Amino acid sequence: MNRTPIIQRFCVALLGCVLLSTASLGQNAKPAAYAIKGGKVFTLAGAPIENGTVVIRDGKIAAVGANIEIPAGAQVIDATGLEVYPGMFDAATQIGLGEISQVSATLDVTELGNYNPELVAATAVNPASAYIPVTRASGITEVIAAPGTAGFDAQGGGLITGQASAFNLAGWTMEDMQLNRSVAMVINWPSIQTRTFDFATFSIKEKAYSDAKKEYDKSVNELSDWLNRARHYAQAKEKGSPALYERDLKLESLVPVVQGKLPVLVIADDERDIRNAVEFCTKQNLKMILGSGAEAWKVKDLLKEKKIPIILGPTERIPDKEDTPYDKPMTQPSELFAAGIPFAFSSFGTSFSRRLPQYAGASVAYGLPHDEALKAVMLNAAQIFGLGDQLGTLEAGKLGNVIVTNGDPLEIQTQVKYLFIKGQLTSLANRHSDFYEQYRKRPKPTQ
Amino acid sequence: MKLRAGTCRSPRFTRRRFWWAAIASSVALVAVGVTFTARGEGGEPRYFAITHARVVPVAGPPIENGTVVVAKGLIQAVGASVTIPPEAWVIDGKGLTVYPGLIDAGTTVGISDDGTDGKGKPAGVVLGPEGRPGTSPWRVVADEIKTDDKRIETWRSAGFTTTLTVPEGGILPGQAAVLNLAGDRAGDYVVRVYASVPISFKPVGGFFGFPDSLMGTIAYVRQVYDDTAWYSQAEPAYESNPAKYERPSYDRTEVVMSEAEKRSEIVMLPANNSQQLLRALKLANEWKIRAVLYGGQQAYEVADALASAKMPVLVNLKWPERGKDADPEGEQTLRELRFRDRAPGTPAALVKAGVKFGFYSGGLSGPKDIMKSAKKAIDAGLSPDAALRAFTADSADILGLGDRMGSIVPGKIANLVVTDGDIFNEKTKVKHVFVDGRWFEIHEEETPPDKGGDKKPGDEEAVKAGRYAGVEGVGR
Repeated sequence: MNRTPIIQRFCVALLGCVLLSTASLGQNAKPAAYAIKGGKVFTLAGAPIENGTVVIRDGKIAAVGANIEIPAGAQVIDATGLEVYPGMFDAATQIGLGEISQVSATLDVTELGNYNPELVAATAVNPASAYIPVTRASGITEVIAAPGTAGFDAQGGGLITGQASAFNLAGWTMEDMQLNRSVAMVINWPSIQTRTFDFATFSIKEKAYSDAKKEYDKSVNELSDWLNRARHYAQAKEKGSPALYERDLKLESLVPVVQGKLPVLVIADDERDIRNAVEFCTKQNLKMILGSGAEAWKVKDLLKEKKIPIILGPTERIPDKEDTPYDKPMTQPSELFAAGIPFAFSSFGTSFSRRLPQYAGASVAYGLPHDEALKAVMLNAAQIFGLGDQLGTLEAGKLGNVIVTNGDPLEIQTQVKYLFIKGQLTSLANRHSDFYEQYRKRPKPTQ
Repeated sequence: MKLRAGTCRSPRFTRRRFWWAAIASSVALVAVGVTFTARGEGGEPRYFAITHARVVPVAGPPIENGTVVVAKGLIQAVGASVTIPPEAWVIDGKGLTVYPGLIDAGTTVGISDDGTDGKGKPAGVVLGPEGRPGTSPWRVVADEIKTDDKRIETWRSAGFTTTLTVPEGGILPGQAAVLNLAGDRAGDYVVRVYASVPISFKPVGGFFGFPDSLMGTIAYVRQVYDDTAWYSQAEPAYESNPAKYERPSYDRTEVVMSEAEKRSEIVMLPANNSQQLLRALKLANEWKIRAVLYGGQQAYEVADALASAKMPVLVNLKWPERGKDADPEGEQTLRELRFRDRAPGTPAALVKAGVKFGFYSGGLSGPKDIMKSAKKAIDAGLSPDAALRAFTADSADILGLGDRMGSIVPGKIANLVVTDGDIFNEKTKVKHVFVDGRWFEIHEEETPPDKGGDKKPGDEEAVKAGRYAGVEGVGR
């Protein structure tokens, strides 16, 4: 028999309503002080602390340790039997840019034209996207939205697709959420494609290599032209003749790229494409981050030599090529780690961003050390994109993006019990849990 | 290798005059046209005796120092001691070898170079089988012969006297004809008008029409056979008692297909890889058709199944290979590499299993490549005898013409090729060709100086040749 007092039940229901109504945005209170007490704390900046405490105040981590005094007025979270980690970071997504792939009005992933360096993902991200709370529920506290990358929606997204933005997965406006509106310029590396899909006959057409090569060379020359023009533009601006030189948003956006201040996230998978991209970026003096990199394992020496980090695509997939070993997507991370190449996992998606921990988990099963896998979903992306001073470890002074779980966060059965973003306890309710609740209420058939 | 020009001999056109024409190389082609008019003026010899030659009759062991007598289009006599009739034009065959004329059992030679004659695309968007997409079985190649197709001479001069000329364009593009590659008028070429009904499983619907998938295409052909079976019963039932039944509606496809079935005309089913071959065996059984499979390049994997089904195969000699302008670093899968490596071993595997097969040029650009491909099959274990049979007697048998061509036996059509050596030797030259008893002396022509080194006028036509690719699903 349920003997819970009516009033208590009412309160629970009310709380449920509050959670539901704020589900998408997650936060509705001012930051407060919290003390997460009694859990095993994985700081990622040293050995795990048994029975540790994490104090969060004013949006930031105030203290981490075994014997920390709990400040007065702090809300205490009992984490006994639980584990505390930095929140996870999905380093390449389209979260907020695309909602329903069949409804084009909800898609803002790509733009027409081949060169759109002036586009900034942050300006298009929808803070009320249903994917945000869904993603958050699996322990992901911040993501990068990269325009025009991967996925069916991205077809025809051009070569320079825009600037990727990093943001927290909670907030009412982009200004609330934003970590850095421009973390990288995204370049879809042109590939020499001899096999093209012909929609007229709905079949694959073979194209002559020489023709495909010509198209490729043309694209690379164009890329090169854009960068050269940006250099010239920067020079003209520096010499201070705005009257003589009209403002050009595209070139202006490329200036930090040619100056090596803004990295380029170059999406490439095939060995040749990666080699060509690295050669190009070296020649152009660009700060390159490799995106996707399905065949990075074939060019480890080059990537190591040029110190190019990788934002890896999903590990739980079949290889792109017929003769690639079936487990290569899952074994590649351990190979890259052994070679000393920094990398972070990412989903390159929206709805499956929530699978990020499993992408890392699968690679642990295929040889990647567990602590490295944790870093590759929590810390590495922050370091690669220049956010390492704010995110990625549980250290005093960093942003209060913290998760509390009932086990290994890379295990699919593990649940995230508490989640903090910018130091605020944030709702874990989401579209999935809403449906769960909704259909649980359905009357059972009478027998 | 230089272009070989063939010229039909006639007394009016003397040897000296011929050479004069041949030296003025480009005029040689015109000369063919001139001599073809000769028959109408009378005097073309119809009786020949090739003497002192090595004769490979295919139907029996080779005859050293033999004689072949040709009379009025047919082989009259063959043997070591044959009486030469006084009316015969004697050709000294010393040092030469006489073979039956070769058969190319799948090409578009003799019709427009893509085989479609501008047909094959469904008019407008077809939404279902009732729209009969890509279906024109009433198209008869025998009515579309283009005697000015320059490939006719190219093929003939290399010893190919006969083709199965197949229409293309659509699922049921029309009816193929067996042609002999010489004649004054188009009608002279035709050996069999209704030689076969070729089927393609290539979807014709495009993105928006029916059928746009393999599944839909096969379902459609099944529907055509069901409809035809119905019509074959409904039509006589109605005729026998028009008062009892409603009149069956007229559908040209059903009428033509039921007529073809009554003739038990060969149906050519596409099947190149092992899955397609096994599928075709099932379909042939299901549709109760007299089937011949074309493609057959991966038959090395399923030769036994083909043998136990007694299924003849026309093997596409355009062996799978890397594209000429392929990406040098492009992915080459083990599957592709294995197929490329093993495909030329198919004929040997078919011989071993006891499958009857013929050869066809498929997408090959000309006779030179056909013979090169055959040589590859020989290098992969096929005996030269079996290779020759595949080009002659076995192809003739498969096409149901074994009683009139494919070997050097009295009474058969005088289709002969006379060479100066083994026919599969690359250096061997064709000296004479007989088509329906018409004599073509083959001369190597000097490369015209203005055309430059590698480019040969005939090859430009040849490149367009054999677009009857039959290469559906090579590989995967």
